[in-house]
Amino acid sequence: MQDLLDSALARIRDASTAEELEAVRVEVLGRKGVLSALSKDMGKLSAEERVARGKLINTSKQALESAWEERRDSFERAALAKRLDAEWLDLTIPAPGPRPGSLHPVTQIQWEIEDLFRSMGFSVLDGPEVETEFHNFDALNIPPDHPARDMQDTFWLEGGNLLRTHTSPVQVRGIEKLGPPLRMIAPGRVFRNETVDTSHEHTFYQLEGMMIDRHVSVGNLIYFMKTLLGAIFKRDVTVRLRPGFFPFVEPGFELDIRCLICGGPGCPVCKQSGWVELLPCGLVNPHVLRASGIDPAEWNGFAFGLGLTRLVMMRYAIDDIRWLQSGDLRFMRQF
Amino acid sequence: MKFSYGWIRSFVDGLDVPAEALERLITMKTAECEGVENPSPLLANAAVAMVLSAEPVEGSNHLQKALIDAGQHGRRTVVCGAPNCRRGLRTIWVPLGFKTIAGIASDGMLASAAELGIGKDGNGIIELGETDEIPPADSVIEIDNKSITHRPDLWGHHGMAREVAAITGKRLLHPIDPATLPAPGGPVKVGIEDLTLCPRYSALVFENVTVQPSPLWLQHRLMAVGLNPINNIVDLTNFIMAELAQPMHAFDRAKLAGETISARPAREGEKITALNDEEYALTTSNLVIADGAGPIAIAGVIGGRDSAISESTTSIVLESANFNASSVRKTSAALRLRTDASMRFEKAQDPHNTVRALARALELLPMLSPGIRLVGGLADSHGPLQEPGRVTFDIDWAESKLGRSLSEETVTEILTSLEFGVQNAGGRKLDVTIPTWRATKDIAMPEDIVEEIGRMVGYDSIEPKPPLVPCAPSYDPPEREFLRRVRRMVASQGFTEVSNYSFVSEEDAKRFGLALEDHVRVLNPIAAGQELMRTSLLPGIWRNVMENARHLESFRLFEIGREIHKNAVGLPDERPHLAAAIFTKDDGRASLFELRRMAECLAVDLHVRPAEPRSWEHPTRCAELWWKGAQIGRLSELHPSLMESGRAAVVDLDLTLLLELAPAQASYTPVRKYPTSAFDLSVICNARERAGTLELEIRRYAGDLAEAVEYVREYEGAPLAEGRKSVSFRVVAGAADHTLTAAEITGVREKIIEGLTGLGYELRA
Repeated sequence: MQDLLDSALARIRDASTAEELEAVRVEVLGRKGVLSALSKDMGKLSAEERVARGKLINTSKQALESAWEERRDSFERAALAKRLDAEWLDLTIPAPGPRPGSLHPVTQIQWEIEDLFRSMGFSVLDGPEVETEFHNFDALNIPPDHPARDMQDTFWLEGGNLLRTHTSPVQVRGIEKLGPPLRMIAPGRVFRNETVDTSHEHTFYQLEGMMIDRHVSVGNLIYFMKTLLGAIFKRDVTVRLRPGFFPFVEPGFELDIRCLICGGPGCPVCKQSGWVELLPCGLVNPHVLRASGIDPAEWNGFAFGLGLTRLVMMRYAIDDIRWLQSGDLRFMRQF
Repeated sequence: MKFSYGWIRSFVDGLDVPAEALERLITMKTAECEGVENPSPLLANAAVAMVLSAEPVEGSNHLQKALIDAGQHGRRTVVCGAPNCRRGLRTIWVPLGFKTIAGIASDGMLASAAELGIGKDGNGIIELGETDEIPPADSVIEIDNKSITHRPDLWGHHGMAREVAAITGKRLLHPIDPATLPAPGGPVKVGIEDLTLCPRYSALVFENVTVQPSPLWLQHRLMAVGLNPINNIVDLTNFIMAELAQPMHAFDRAKLAGETISARPAREGEKITALNDEEYALTTSNLVIADGAGPIAIAGVIGGRDSAISESTTSIVLESANFNASSVRKTSAALRLRTDASMRFEKAQDPHNTVRALARALELLPMLSPGIRLVGGLADSHGPLQEPGRVTFDIDWAESKLGRSLSEETVTEILTSLEFGVQNAGGRKLDVTIPTWRATKDIAMPEDIVEEIGRMVGYDSIEPKPPLVPCAPSYDPPEREFLRRVRRMVASQGFTEVSNYSFVSEEDAKRFGLALEDHVRVLNPIAAGQELMRTSLLPGIWRNVMENARHLESFRLFEIGREIHKNAVGLPDERPHLAAAIFTKDDGRASLFELRRMAECLAVDLHVRPAEPRSWEHPTRCAELWWKGAQIGRLSELHPSLMESGRAAVVDLDLTLLLELAPAQASYTPVRKYPTSAFDLSVICNARERAGTLELEIRRYAGDLAEAVEYVREYEGAPLAEGRKSVSFRVVAGAADHTLTAAEITGVREKIIEGLTGLGYELRA
């Protein structure tokens, strides 16, 4: 009896394949196996013998089963290890599927600035790219034959319309739509009829901004611009205003910021002046308020125009403006 | 516009700010300066020299060895190539160190007027008269013309000097004494047909004129500001223009027909040969100055050649007139002729200025043409001259505009220094009179005066202050977030965003089958190929594909831009579209399905419908995309004839429609409680039967109990006949309120089989 068990245990331990182990299991532990056979003739035994036999069978069964499980696990581990080894994969080969896409740098900067303004309670408005002469010029206090029309070479369209030369018409459309008081920006594509070269494009992007309320001062404008530009450039900036002529603001300013490259002493970027001309701004001209249907005695405000394309060129140090409209993926994919 | 620092300084009493510092002050307070230049660098060290002797240099046919007496520099030996270098000549020597010329050590140089930058003559060394002095070295401040378009007064040195005097707190000097002008009445009569086009025409007549070169100081002034000296009379007109911003013109009186000068619209068919030797055909919209025989000048633009000053001129008519700004601008634009005169008149010059200019001429002419005599009195024709405008200026209000405090004293001082009239109008209010030279288009309302005060006190004196604004949510148009979402989604699927022009060429429009007459046309395109506004983004996308295919094996790109569609009246429709392309060098199937999947991300459950192929499309690879009953776009492969290599699949989606159709918010239906059952069906059909068509038919016959009909796979080949295929679908059936019985499921299945069989399809279990 004990010999029988010892030999079964040895066979389990010595099984060299899973199949061999299974054969031993059936022979020893199976329904028709040795242990079953041993328990079958228990009826012929005396009560004491039966108890002793039962104990023996149970102990043996436990020992055999645990030996079998151990052996079985070792086979499974070996099989898994073999499979995993066979699944060796070279992860350095290129991944299938498309490479990541990207957004146009103008889109990215535009979103960044939109988010900034939204956080300050501004609406983001849109206006048509094909404009009327009224909205692009007359309502902005640029009457026919005003020399200021020379400043902006215009694409004229059949039917008397034009391609907007600036995003400023959205000032008028914005007031018409929202009514005072209001805070709005209007980013978008603008057009100037000029020859394209490394620093000039006939198609580029601007962002118009305006705040209309009851008491808005030049001091408010300076504060706001300083805050805004600090957020755009992610550092404290020094700004200055100097006179600038734009018919839709009065007084009108050119806003300069202290050169971010040299910090003031002068460098090639600021043409040795220590200042970089950044954007035109001013208090909204009463003519514009009136043309937009609100009373300048009651409402006033400030407006400014930001060159989005220029900001993109500055941010990424892009040397040739023509890349932006080139559609060349060797350029676009870098953003 | 170039400004001579010396010229400005001659009008500002005791100006002690150097040119470089002045440039910065002008930038901060008046107009944008673009830099300071030295137009005549040699002048700084130049000295008057007397040629003591001049001998030919051996072995040279033109060089001379000159011994000169250069005053405090002593005697020097200079080799000079000028033909007029001769003993006894009073000229100018410039110390430049020694240089060996023809074997002789030559000490510095004798210079021509052109070399010195003080005159136009470069043919020989300068010849000084006994009393001529070397003009002092000057600096030139360049001002950006765009920053003074609204300031007619700043197109002359005296106007800029007024600003400088106000900025520096110095006294402004006036070069004119109007009292010297003669009484009205003169030998020429002036007739103005339209006082709107020519508000004022003033003239003086002179005789015993000697036409000769101008004195050096005057030539030097003109050269410094970029004007070319010609002769004393022409130079005088240019000098006064540069000084007072009043353009002038001199006619040779002997060449005029009759004694009447008229300002009138040109008659149809009239022509004039101008001072630049060009002939101009005139129309009735051009104002001319005419004598008895015809036009003698294009008003405000250019004089005529036939009546021009020449060396034989002995009598002149000196015109100082005022012309309507927009009329001059139109004429100048129509004739493509911009002159120093037209540039100034375009800015709306002050009619009061004509006689000031004549007074200045009266003072200068005897110096330039000794012996000259005035004939008769002042010819001066004009309508009612505008009274100086007045504005009530509330200092408290100005403080609220600027955001800083202002004393009445400061405001008065600034306005007075700019020659505004100022009177107290009670309390903190002022009665301000606008000077005529600021009133033509610059200043009319109190806001304009705020600018005068603001710039002079300096904007840097204003404390930045946060604005007080209402606490209110901002209006956010739904398009903004939608377009952002589309951009992000498309980019996340591997597409790179590009941006194309809004223009398209006729050729490209035709290539994409777009009718030319549907396009809005650009009247003044900048280049060939940009004459139409795009009605489709595809031509641009196609160009992007072609260009990138030269560098890349495969790529994905997209653009979101506006299509511009003509309207019978009013502005065109601007519809944002998404156009995307996948370029590969494989069989192109996957690209089309990738694009469709991308479209499905925007329009879940869109329908693909067969499309009539267009000329630019692969005839068997194109489809319409429909969603919620509307066609939202088109999916196709570009026709191989449009490609140099590879294949490009393109999709074009109307984003306005997509936004309209997109649900404003998701809607919830409870998740089903009862299980569904599924069964498979295989339909045998022609190989070109579309699975979408079968799917629609199955849905139709399956009825309400069919929850979903899903395409599984299709199979061609044995045992199926040639040209046949089997398409398998899985039908999922279920009801909201109970578990379907076996009979119900069989019923659904049988209805489908019956229906399809009725349509002539064969079904495989």
